Amino acid sequence: MITQMHLKGLMFDPYNNAYIVVLRDEDGQEMLPIWVGKAEAGAISMALENVAPPRPMTHDFMKSILDAYDAKVISVVITDLNENTYFAKIHLMYEDSEYTVDARPSDAIALALRSNAPVFAKETVLNKQSSEELEQWLENLKPEDFGKLDS
Amino acid sequence: MSKANPAPDQGLIEYKVDRVVDETNTDTKIVVLARQDGRPDSFPIWVGASEGHAIKLALDTTMTPRPMSHDLIKGFIEHLNVSVRRVVIADVKNSTYYATVYLENHGVERTVDARPSDAISLALRTHAPVYITQDVLSRRNTANIDSWLAKLDNKTGNQQELRES
Repeated sequence: MITQMHLKGLMFDPYNNAYIVVLRDEDGQEMLPIWVGKAEAGAISMALENVAPPRPMTHDFMKSILDAYDAKVISVVITDLNENTYFAKIHLMYEDSEYTVDARPSDAIALALRSNAPVFAKETVLNKQSSEELEQWLENLKPEDFGKLDS
Repeated sequence: MSKANPAPDQGLIEYKVDRVVDETNTDTKIVVLARQDGRPDSFPIWVGASEGHAIKLALDTTMTPRPMSHDLIKGFIEHLNVSVRRVVIADVKNSTYYATVYLENHGVERTVDARPSDAISLALRTHAPVYITQDVLSRRNTANIDSWLAKLDNKTGNQQELRES
C-alpha cells in the first residue's frame, strides 16, 4: 500500500544543522519528516516557491535531459527510511516502457516538484516514522528557528 | 532544442579536471581545469560548495552509500540508452560560464544547456571529454592566473584537496 503525500513545508533543524522536508497525507493523518542537506533543501525550496534561477540548477538540468528524450516522471515513492539512509523510487515512462530508478528522497522530491508528479510513501515507512517524534520535536522548536532557509 | 553538431576539433581545446580547491573565506570552491595535452594553461571555475563537492566525489571516485544527484542523472541516461558524447564550455557572459552537454542516442545528437559544474560532474561520471572553446579561452581574464592559483593553494594549505597528478 502507498499513500499520496503533499509537501507541507521545509524548515531548518538547528540541532542537526540540516533541513526537514515535511510531507503530509491528504487528510493530515500521517506526517513524514525527511532530513535533507542544505543543497537538497535549496533545490526543493526553489521548486516549491516557483523561483526561476538565471541558470538551470542541478534538478532543472536533470529535467532538461528527461525532456530532451520525452521521458516522463510518472510518480515518486518514498520506500524506506533508515537511520541515515533514505530510499526512494522514481517511476519513469520512456518509449512506452516504465522504468524504476533508485534515488534519494531529496532528489526524487526535487524532480517530482519540477515534473508535477505525485509523491507517495509506502505504508511501512509511515508506520516506522511515527509522527509523534516530529510533534515532540516541533514543540521544542523556538520561533526563530523557522524561516532560515535563505541564510 | 538544437541538434547542431559542430565537429569537436573546431576551435575546441580538451581539458580535464585537475583539482578542486576550497575557498576558505566563502561558500565556494574552485574547480581547476588543466589542458589534457599537458600545456600549462589552467582554467579555474568558481562553483558553489555542493557543486564542488559533487565534482570532488567523482574526481576521487568516492563511493557514497546513496546515489548523489549526478549519479541519478547518470542512472537516467543509462535507462534511456543515451550516452554523453562531450561537454563544451562554450560561452561566458558577465563572468558566468555556459556549458553545453552533447547527448547521443540511436545516432541522434541532442544538446542540453547546463552550468559548467553540472556538466563537469556528469562528464566525470560518464568518462566524457570536456572541451573549452577558443573563443571562451580568449575572452577570459588570464592575468597571472597560474601564479594566483599557486598562491591560493599555498595559502589555504589544502594539501588534501590537491590531487596527485
